[in-house]
Amino acid sequence: MDFALSEDQEMLKTMARDFLEKECPEAVVRQIETDERGYSPELWRQIAELGWLGISIPEEYGGTGGDAVDLMVIHEEMGRALFPSPHLSTVVLCGHTILEAGSDEQKKELLPKIVNGELILAMALTEPESSWDGKAWDPEGVTVRAVPDGDDYIIDGIKLFVHDAHIADYLLCAARTRDDGPSEEGITLFLVDAKSPGISYELLDTLANRNKQCEVVFDKVKVPKQNIVGELNDGWAPLFKSVKTGAVLLCAQMVGAGQRIEELTVDYAKTRIQFDMPIGINQHVQEHCVQLVIRQDACRYATQYAAWALGQPGQDMEVAMAKAWCSEAFEHICWRAHQVFAGVGTMAVLHIMPLYTRRGIVMENYLGDTPFWLEKVALELEKLPPHMKTKGKPLGLWDPQRKQVPVWEIWREYAESL
Amino acid sequence: MEFGFSEEQQKLMAEMRDFCINELPEDYDPEYTGRFQEAETQEFWKQFHQKGVQKGWPTAGWPKKYGGMGFSAMEQAAISSEMSYWGARWGGIMAMTLVAPTVLTSGTEEQREKWIPPIARGEITAFECFTEPDAGSDEANVQLRAVPDGDEYVLNGQKTFISGGTKPDWLYTLCKTADVTPKHRGLSIFMVPGDAPGVSYRPLPTMGGSQQNEIFYDNVRVPKENLLGELNRGFYLAMTTFEFERAAGGGLGARRSMEKIMEYARQEKRNGKPLYQDSKARDMLARMAIHKHLEFLFGWYTAWHRSQRERLGPQHYNSGTLWHRLWQTFDGEKMGQVFGMYTQLRQKSKYARYNGRPGRTWEYMHAIHAAGSPEIRRVVIADRGLGLPRIPRQFNVQINEALKQV
Ligand SMILES: Cc1cc2nc3c(=O)[nH]c(=O)nc-3n(C[C@H](O)[C@H](O)[C@H](O)COP(=O)(O)OP(=O)(O)OC[C@H]3O[C@@H](n4cnc5c(N)ncnc54)[C@H](O)[C@@H]3O)c2cc1C
Ligand SMILES: Cc1cc2nc3c(=O)[nH]c(=O)nc-3n(C[C@H](O)[C@H](O)[C@H](O)COP(=O)(O)OP(=O)(O)OC[C@H]3O[C@@H](n4cnc5c(N)ncnc54)[C@H](O)[C@@H]3O)c2cc1C
Repeated sequence: MDFALSEDQEMLKTMARDFLEKECPEAVVRQIETDERGYSPELWRQIAELGWLGISIPEEYGGTGGDAVDLMVIHEEMGRALFPSPHLSTVVLCGHTILEAGSDEQKKELLPKIVNGELILAMALTEPESSWDGKAWDPEGVTVRAVPDGDDYIIDGIKLFVHDAHIADYLLCAARTRDDGPSEEGITLFLVDAKSPGISYELLDTLANRNKQCEVVFDKVKVPKQNIVGELNDGWAPLFKSVKTGAVLLCAQMVGAGQRIEELTVDYAKTRIQFDMPIGINQHVQEHCVQLVIRQDACRYATQYAAWALGQPGQDMEVAMAKAWCSEAFEHICWRAHQVFAGVGTMAVLHIMPLYTRRGIVMENYLGDTPFWLEKVALELEKLPPHMKTKGKPLGLWDPQRKQVPVWEIWREYAESL
Repeated sequence: MEFGFSEEQQKLMAEMRDFCINELPEDYDPEYTGRFQEAETQEFWKQFHQKGVQKGWPTAGWPKKYGGMGFSAMEQAAISSEMSYWGARWGGIMAMTLVAPTVLTSGTEEQREKWIPPIARGEITAFECFTEPDAGSDEANVQLRAVPDGDEYVLNGQKTFISGGTKPDWLYTLCKTADVTPKHRGLSIFMVPGDAPGVSYRPLPTMGGSQQNEIFYDNVRVPKENLLGELNRGFYLAMTTFEFERAAGGGLGARRSMEKIMEYARQEKRNGKPLYQDSKARDMLARMAIHKHLEFLFGWYTAWHRSQRERLGPQHYNSGTLWHRLWQTFDGEKMGQVFGMYTQLRQKSKYARYNGRPGRTWEYMHAIHAAGSPEIRRVVIADRGLGLPRIPRQFNVQINEALKQV
């Protein structure tokens, strides 16, 4: 049991904090949010130089071979700074999947370019119907089909809520290639050139980063067979593995954001004067701060545990718990902060809270919301072993003849004694 | 970052597990501890303790010099977490957590010789006698007086809500020994024999069936040697005591209750299917499991932090102490929604479900307030943890007077 980061990770954290405070202050975040692309190519190049794109990629592909905890450190700082970038899409959701399932050629070809910042990738998984039916992140939700046609496959259908698709070089598209059998055994991953004829993009008008998520329409898009990542019909397992990692990293982003919100809120409670006193002297305001802090602590521990658990066998429940918890808790944290900031906290251009709250809506829902992960927790609970039995000599505690704690008798005795 | 247990800890926990499996009665249900306040079960824990003594476990965290094993906070937590998984406890637990630390840190050498060995053997039961009708959250407002008279002190006053069952050997009593401002500098702690002439008890059952006591002190005489630590430093001793009480480990007990309730949710049927497949039950179970996982993490964070003190400095607040109190009522509510009208049934009803536990969550409301209410814990987090402002105490009396004028 050790809650501390390693020395290297502490260094990474400090470096990331310093870099983002300097290069990505609130003004830059706001500017990028109004930019069509939704990210800054210049900052993307800089983080490639810092090694952030290769942090979890093995050395043989140019990365530094770190683990999920290293990624967590970086994503926490990115969340704190509201850093807009396609890091999660490119490195984790697509990069890790290619690393897990791709052929040697694919890995040699793609991973070094990801590490260098030359490629942006986007994961095309969720669909309009599945997202409405609550199956967005379940294999049953994949209905867009890919049909073999000579040396190619033809993909036809709509993917929705695809992050970073409009700036991507490749899409990693999950498509249905078999209808019989269990639904997770009929999904294939295709690496689709984002400029392929027949693909069109439309930016979605979302609360945060309004230009970062897309509708992607595949109109009979041709993809060569050699662009299949992993085995035919076996795409779900590697993809979902990356989704799990991604979900934990979203938790890390919420932890980073929550930490900053906590600092700002408590500081405001101490310095804002109304009724001739700091507002933080009122227990109502203190209650907001305390409820915020206790949830923030819980988010942090749950996320740290989950990031560690990603590298351990048999810990799916704890991973699911992290996202189930953080998604709801972060919403609550934002709400508590808003209560303390009152009017000024709602002013879109004066205050940073609107940025956090809106980004929060994205992070809560992306890669599985609370109900989705609660269901995963429940599935794991079903496997819980029964409680072990004790074997000592019985005390006859449940013998009906036994004289029990005479609650009512004590009451009567007491009443009589008065 | 590492959330697994070291080999050493695992070994310790495995030994503890075997011990509990073999020693705890097979009809023991740790989810229903009310029974365990009865006299004969107190006797059971005493014996359990004595068997543990052979391994050195009950006093593992004490310094070697006084019969302990000098275990670190993490090793202690490994033991106590396994204990909590089984719902086991050492005999004379209050003496272990209250009297022993005080005597060890602030007692005289004679007091150590007198108290430590029998406490270590689990032979002494003690009550923590702090609360009075007018001194609840405001512990420093204790009015029970101890007045010197020759080689003795004479105690007069009343305590209330005191836990521990019946017939304690000793009363660890917080008394007023000086009229000073601030009030907490005029308090001292005395060890009062439970059967001293002038001490009388009135039982106060709680709605959950546990037994509290009102204790009256009528010209009770105790020798001067029974003063623990220094005169008028009692409040600080009480605070140290709390520090010791905070040893972590509740978390694994949390896992036990999930295993238990899942066992039940598999056997019980609703609409012809196992209860866990019912959508409301599923939601409740998953949320409960998360709260318990977090309880586990908060507990271990505390233990880890204690073990890292030198590196990290003092922990200014411990949100873990608030944690399960926050969710106890929430989980109870959810359980009530799943059990519906059956929530009302006590364990003895032939229609009772899940051993009558859903309703007990509500009856166990008393546990939320023992050892300081959640509101006071919030005040502590806000004040000492976050450094939020508060009205300086010395103005409280004036404000209260002013309120009467309005
Ligand atoms: C959309 C919008 C429209 C508005 N329209 C108008 C308008 O048309 N005209 C106008 O004059 N104003 C308007 N306002 C201002 C509004 O009335 C104030 O925002 C509101 O009164 C709160 O003041 P504040 O934002 O300065 O918060 P603060 O007074 O700084 O309060 C901050 C926090 O501290 C709490 N707090 C403060 N004092 C205490 C206390 N003694 N005890 C417990 N808690 C305390 C508050 O409840 C709040 O949670 C508007 C505000 C908004 C957001
Ligand atoms: C089951 C049980 C077992 C107990 N066992 C023991 C025992 O063994 N030994 C012992 O000495 N005591 C014991 N107690 C007493 C317990 O410590 C007190 O009940 C507790 O400290 C609260 O005091 P009170 O009940 O007098 O509430 P009060 O102090 O009257 O408080 C009433 C309410 O006001 C709130 N409040 C008070 N002051 C403030 C403030 N400044 N700011 C905000 N809110 C405030 C409180 O949080 C609470 O919600 C036990 C109590 C229970 C219920």
